[in-house]
Amino acid sequence: MRRGAWHQCGDRSQKLVEEQLQQGAGVGVIISPRDLSRKNAITYAERYRALGAELLLDHQYYVPEFTNERFDSYPISRFRKGVSSLNKISDQDLTNFRNELRVDHEELKADAVIAPAVVYQAGRADILQLNARLFAASKRVADDLKIPIYATVVLGRSVTASDRTLQTALSQATALSCDGWYFAFEFEDERLPSVRETVRRSCIAGLILACTGKPVLHAYAGPLGLLSFGFGATGVAIGHSQNLWKFTRDRWMPAASQGGGGDAPARFFSNALWGTIIYPDETSQLPAAIRNQVLTPSPFSGPVASNLPWSRWDSGKHLVYVLAQQFSTMAAETDPRKNARAAIALLDKALSLHATIQQSNVFLGDNTNAYQANWKAALEDLLRDNQGDFDFFDLLN
Amino acid sequence: MPYVVDIKDAQQMFQDYTFVRALTPSEQKAAFHVKDKAGNAFCLKLIAPNYERDRIDREIQALQTINHPNVVRLIEYTFSSKPGQQRHYIVEEFIEGQDLQDTLTPGKPWPIKAVAQFFSALCDGLFAMKEKEIVHRDIKPANIRVRPDRSPVIIDFGLARHLNLPDLTQTIDGAAIGTPRYFAPEQFDGTKHDIDHRTDLFALGILLYEALTGESPFYNPKMTTRCQIRQAVCESTVHLTKLSFQALDPKWKILLARLLEKERAKRPSDARQVGAMLKKLGGL
Repeated sequence: MRRGAWHQCGDRSQKLVEEQLQQGAGVGVIISPRDLSRKNAITYAERYRALGAELLLDHQYYVPEFTNERFDSYPISRFRKGVSSLNKISDQDLTNFRNELRVDHEELKADAVIAPAVVYQAGRADILQLNARLFAASKRVADDLKIPIYATVVLGRSVTASDRTLQTALSQATALSCDGWYFAFEFEDERLPSVRETVRRSCIAGLILACTGKPVLHAYAGPLGLLSFGFGATGVAIGHSQNLWKFTRDRWMPAASQGGGGDAPARFFSNALWGTIIYPDETSQLPAAIRNQVLTPSPFSGPVASNLPWSRWDSGKHLVYVLAQQFSTMAAETDPRKNARAAIALLDKALSLHATIQQSNVFLGDNTNAYQANWKAALEDLLRDNQGDFDFFDLLN
Repeated sequence: MPYVVDIKDAQQMFQDYTFVRALTPSEQKAAFHVKDKAGNAFCLKLIAPNYERDRIDREIQALQTINHPNVVRLIEYTFSSKPGQQRHYIVEEFIEGQDLQDTLTPGKPWPIKAVAQFFSALCDGLFAMKEKEIVHRDIKPANIRVRPDRSPVIIDFGLARHLNLPDLTQTIDGAAIGTPRYFAPEQFDGTKHDIDHRTDLFALGILLYEALTGESPFYNPKMTTRCQIRQAVCESTVHLTKLSFQALDPKWKILLARLLEKERAKRPSDARQVGAMLKKLGGL
């Protein structure tokens, strides 16, 4: 697993990802069958690989009964059923499941197999057993194709509610003999996770996985990925859409509307704020000196410097590029404590800048300054309370 | 109650072998050091008549799948029954040397290099078991032989569990078999689903602690009940404050503390990882 930013594909991501790779942003791509038909996935996989990216396919069994037209273009989708049905899957069907999984990975020339798995839930022994069976089948595919196998560890809210349930779930999940972890943490439904305790727990979970000595790919990380290299992650998955900024099962539930944000104005992701600011409504209110600090440029933000119209689409590209650059810098440092301190320093500066903006009587929308202080505190908690884990990580490496 | 067979009676039953001496019997097996006609030494184990067939089948299956210098080698397994006569026995390689329990002396820690050499080889054996998805469940000094060249051999797979096969115990419990002094927390409090390779790593941690410090991390002779041992293993962190532990090099302390974590998630993921660290720490 390459160190750095990974593109988490989502709805209408495929061309954006290609463009980012052309700009040298990102080291790998995670294909999303929910959003890309099998035929297109094969086409784009080839193009991504030609641009030097590592490639993974996430079959997204989080809500295994959910399917859509694109999912259905993958023959494996006939095994998209509810947990209770999957629990009864016969050995013959598991063999068929394995064969389909193998064909998909062969045709996409994936660099590793991400074992399909259901979201871990507290007190659900049936899910543990199901995930173990799906993992065993996936591992055989990986062994046959001579590529690594990554276990999917997506921790549901019932697991993440306390340290105790979290550790119990991790003890069970880490019993799988894998070559790496594809890890996500289910947060409460908000734009970006802002609860200190939950963010701290997500970092602990990541650190425990990293302490197995196997690479950790933090899936659906988005801007929260700033913290990931501080808990020892190898890769951090990013995407343009808010749906890809955190893990939530809602995304795999049937949608009431198409979504997409309607006519909302563009959001400029500022490295200095570690958050977004509405362009041009909010940026134009800033005093020039602050504005210069806030508007960190990218190859996709040209019009912003001249206060010209800027599309939401370009703002998404800018966001992904800025995240990828930041994470590339952090990935070059392999000591998680140093990365945690670097993230704390960046968040500290962001907090100061937010304070300066407020002092100039500009009040930003989107709750864009609601989480930085708690992310910083969560990392400080981690550094203070989990020294043993960091020490062991050092000893391993 | 150990299964004891008189050596003269055993000799009478197995005339192809010369019986050298009786070895320490277990509840299920009477064991003897024997030699064949060519003078090759073996360990012959007679299986108690009331011993579950399924369990011995598992033990044989486990031994047959592993071929590693740090795991005892199975030579022969026989079960035959004629009217009035039943022969049920195992022949294993005979490991010259002594039990690990004879070399772990309270108050006498081993030299660091000897610890690294011995325990990294022990990790090789444990990892060979892990690769075959076998958990020993009863790693303790009496189940580890020390060859004259100081290399370890894991013996007695009577409680071994193959993680891919259904457990022989019928209840959801069934984690609590083995020797409490070397139990991991999940063997006291968990279910059989909680037993995995890291259960053996906890026992390895206890042995490593004993070798490095000359004392047990949790157990003391005043403990007379299983409940007292459970409390120490599952709840106490006294092992981190003992003077003998505190005197160790910080890196050894990190490794020991990690092996003796209550939660499996926080223990090293496998014996190969531990073996590599031991070699590094021992300068091998």
